[in-house]
Amino acid sequence: MKEIEVALIGNPNVGKSLIFNNLTGGRAHVGNWPGKTVEKKEGRCIHKGVTMRIIDLPGVYSLTAASIDELIARNYIVEERPDVVVDIVDASNLERNLYLTLQLLELEANLVIALNKSDIAEGLGYEIDVKGLSELLGVPVVPTIATVKVGMEELKDAIVEASKRGVKARVRYREDIEELIERIGNILKRDENLTKKYPARWLAIKIIEGDKEVMRLIEERGLMGELREVIG
Amino acid sequence: MRIPLGLAPENRMVRVVEVRGGRGLIRRLSELGFLKGEWVRVLKSGPSGPALVEVKGSRVALGRGVLMRIIVECVPP
Amino acid sequence: MSVREVLGEEPEVAMAEERYRVIGEILSKVFRGARPLTLSDLLDEAFLNRYLGIPIFLTLWWALFRFTFDVSAPLSDLIDIIFSRLGEFASSIIGNEWWSAFVSDAICGGLGGVLVFIPPIFFLFFGLALLEDSGYLARAAFVVDKILRPFGLQGRSFIPLLLGFGCNIPGVMATRTIPSERDRILTICVNPLITCSARLPVYVLIAGAVLGAYASMAVFTMYLLSIVLALLMALIFKALIPYFRRGRRAPFILELPNYARPTLRSTLTHMYERGILFLRKAGTIIFLGIIVVWLLSSHPWGAPLDQSYIATLGRWLEPLFRPLGFDWRGAVALFFGFIAKEIVVGTFAVFFGLGEEAEIEEVQRSIVELGVFTPLTGFAFMAFTLLYIPCLATVGIIYRETNSIKWTLFTVIYGLILAYLIALLIVVIGGLMGLG
Repeated sequence: MKEIEVALIGNPNVGKSLIFNNLTGGRAHVGNWPGKTVEKKEGRCIHKGVTMRIIDLPGVYSLTAASIDELIARNYIVEERPDVVVDIVDASNLERNLYLTLQLLELEANLVIALNKSDIAEGLGYEIDVKGLSELLGVPVVPTIATVKVGMEELKDAIVEASKRGVKARVRYREDIEELIERIGNILKRDENLTKKYPARWLAIKIIEGDKEVMRLIEERGLMGELREVIG
Repeated sequence: MRIPLGLAPENRMVRVVEVRGGRGLIRRLSELGFLKGEWVRVLKSGPSGPALVEVKGSRVALGRGVLMRIIVECVPP
Repeated sequence: MSVREVLGEEPEVAMAEERYRVIGEILSKVFRGARPLTLSDLLDEAFLNRYLGIPIFLTLWWALFRFTFDVSAPLSDLIDIIFSRLGEFASSIIGNEWWSAFVSDAICGGLGGVLVFIPPIFFLFFGLALLEDSGYLARAAFVVDKILRPFGLQGRSFIPLLLGFGCNIPGVMATRTIPSERDRILTICVNPLITCSARLPVYVLIAGAVLGAYASMAVFTMYLLSIVLALLMALIFKALIPYFRRGRRAPFILELPNYARPTLRSTLTHMYERGILFLRKAGTIIFLGIIVVWLLSSHPWGAPLDQSYIATLGRWLEPLFRPLGFDWRGAVALFFGFIAKEIVVGTFAVFFGLGEEAEIEEVQRSIVELGVFTPLTGFAFMAFTLLYIPCLATVGIIYRETNSIKWTLFTVIYGLILAYLIALLIVVIGGLMGLG
């Protein structure tokens, strides 16, 4: 039987633990992140003949690596490349939550969005065009209400579907930024081992931002000289 | 009138004009939405201790030191 | 065009701006609605109010502790009774004397010793999960930030310290949300000073035995001492240790989640996760610890207690504790209390030949009759129990969370020194005042 790896991520208090429980039936194996002291929760879910290994990532607002939680979440997605990443988004606070979503898209994660707390959003009088959101982001969006298990079957369907389809989403930034990303990407692609391991687009954006961890990596790879001209 | 966010009156929309500080701080604040031109609102503030600020539809508690590094434009009513 | 030319001096800020611009563009197409005045706003109006904030915080905190200890007490008593009956039953059906004692005193006593802590721990975690899921816990950090700041801690240190009252293990683990490494390590270092629920039975035992009418006041004093010393030591470390003094103060930035009506299911889930973690990490160690105490106290097999291995160990440790007025029994109890503080009570029970599952009144009577403690040395013993090395499981978790032998040793050693000094101070000052 086919087995896929599914990671759950989202801001704190969006209902991630509940979705994890709904998907796994509450049976979780608690271990540790490799080399880290933070506990790692893992569960299983079988849906339509596909076994999903579900990994609960720490609740984070961003992937900047400011705290250990953020670093763990980021490293996991970058290094382990799970088949599908489920981004749980609080429908009642979209603007703030989508920030993490965009960062996940930069990572070229194979994303499925669970639009949770859609009942609360409705109660606030919000109207969200789910289909439109899905089209603009280029990823499936499933409205859910984790507290009463609404949307769970649809979410599982979307996960299985996404695992077959692969990554296709790509949010485009401003023209001049995209140009920079491409130019840096072209330099990085000369180091095949590097781009095989990390998404070039993500590396490029992190280089633009001057991210400490990525800069160290680039230094180690001896690519700094060529990049200096682009960075300016 | 340009003042630090820490001195802004409660419950009035003010606009961010500048964020000062180290790279890490500026970065974190920009992720939260404290960007040049952004409208924010102080919900709870006092002479000392942190203040509660609404930005990008969510609520953030900021310590005094941080509040003094965010410069806002406050239009007198 | 280089990065600098396109995005200026602060490219990471420009990227954040760009992300929010894209989000704004998307939302303008798919989202309609304006944020109405919500219950969240009204709740914040009250919970974060300049004058009401702290009284509300204290009330909720007090309610949480009453809930934890009062409501769970009958359940703990029930578990206690079940295991002591189970022990009696086991020893009555097993013929072999050694095995009979092993099963009833070590196994049943050990299991009972672990399981009596489940009700208060789970109740505490239930209450905390309720506060956390509702979104209040983050507000509490906001409310107390002003209070913690002068001590070199910050609002984010509050939740780990609060959890410490239940158990220092989740307390230390909760420091993960503190982004500043310095603040995080400082919060970890003082966490063991927060009196965890495992220390309460020791206070109750000793205070009830020798402090009579002042018993509950003495127990309360331990809680007070715990809070005062945790804050004071944070202040001292911050002032004296170069690592904490160095560098600027970490900025306080805390995102407050929206309030949400907690559901029973999610609260239970949170409680279960933390509780199970405690059981796995601490339970096994406590259980094994009690078995070791039993083995050492009942061997050489058949010898009276004062000739057992444990007594030998106690006599060897006794000189160290003589200035504090503790005899070999106190020394041994503290020695094993390192494994887990709840073993202290069980160790005393073993000394008086009462078995692990003895009724607390019997143990207290023996303490008085044998003159193990005077009111003054009893009080000093309570303070020592509060302050000296956190239990083995906590030391383990401190090592894993700081990833540093240096900080782990530091925490253990300063705790020992502090415990000795405070206990000595109590005995000396009490002696001068003519108590004793």
